[in-house]
Amino acid sequence: MAASAGDVEVVDFEPDDDDLMDEDAAAHADASPTATAPKLRSAVTGGASSFAFGETRKTKGRGFREDAGPDQGSRLAARDFDSLDSDGGPGPQRCVFTVEGWIVLVTGVHEEAQEDDVHNAFREFGQVKNLHLNLNRRTGFVKGYALIEYENFKEAQDAITMLNGTELLTQTIYVDWAFSKGPIRRRNMGRSITVSIIGQLQYAVSEYED
Amino acid sequence: MAGSSGEQDEFYLRYYVGHKGKFGHEFLEFEFRPDGKLRYANNSNYKNDTMIRKEVFVTPAVLRECRRIIADSEIMKEDDNNWPEPDRVGRQELEIVMGNEHISFTTSKIGSLVDVQSSKDPEGLRIFYYLVQDLKCFVFSLISLHFKIKPIQS
Repeated sequence: MAASAGDVEVVDFEPDDDDLMDEDAAAHADASPTATAPKLRSAVTGGASSFAFGETRKTKGRGFREDAGPDQGSRLAARDFDSLDSDGGPGPQRCVFTVEGWIVLVTGVHEEAQEDDVHNAFREFGQVKNLHLNLNRRTGFVKGYALIEYENFKEAQDAITMLNGTELLTQTIYVDWAFSKGPIRRRNMGRSITVSIIGQLQYAVSEYED
Repeated sequence: MAGSSGEQDEFYLRYYVGHKGKFGHEFLEFEFRPDGKLRYANNSNYKNDTMIRKEVFVTPAVLRECRRIIADSEIMKEDDNNWPEPDRVGRQELEIVMGNEHISFTTSKIGSLVDVQSSKDPEGLRIFYYLVQDLKCFVFSLISLHFKIKPIQS
């Protein structure tokens, strides 16, 4: 188990990964960013045409001026991320590992809430398998959100339906699903991706016309 | 619900902390993308360990809460000009796009509040220090709940 000496980098990236954040950005790699766009390899500014705010965005920080950090561009670029199977459609995602579970996110939690307060409110709809009520690391009070796991869909859906917008410890809480099966599709995003794909197709078609 | 004015704005968050040493490039990195994909990577070659990569789609509710945590911290008003530069001990990167503002801060690792207090910008660095902890809490909870990671029961 000799540790590798000095500079050898022993990380398991696929050798043919590009310096791109991921496969989505690959299609837009040729779209040159505006002259003032920062040198970042993230999906947001990698030239992806769906995010057309580059020209008007204020930028700040050393990250725009310096060389990229180690392996930047490849750290999150590899394709072999673990994820749980889904059919890619919209809607809440079930958590399947060895035991099934459904996770809801609660926001607007009062900062003095105790775990018991949250547990008591949510146990009405089913057994709470897991409860994360994270603290604000600076103040020691509750950060303001909680993550709750139920065993089945109906229990979680009932909790969402019945508790969303209600009051807990004099403060309004909002309850919703935490995970979904696929990407959020916003109207703007969809439209501009379509435009760019059509543009490319037209170009490709015209190349073959003769 | 508060924050709806920011609904149509772009949102992106990436955090990295790591160093290179005897056990390779050891790092932790996570990323919230505008389409809701949360990606998490943790790498070390300590005892020939390999990389852990997880990804999952989160809902707009989760992104909203992430934005709230960031907005409350007021990190977007800060600047890393006077923060310590990354060094051999390690490096941290925080990149956030919120609305029409885009920050990309880099600094060295922060061991404790002593490092914060003795820096040239204790106020700003303190905000960064606590925000990073809060974001890690959030991400670790999401990842461990979704992938059902539980401590070993004896």
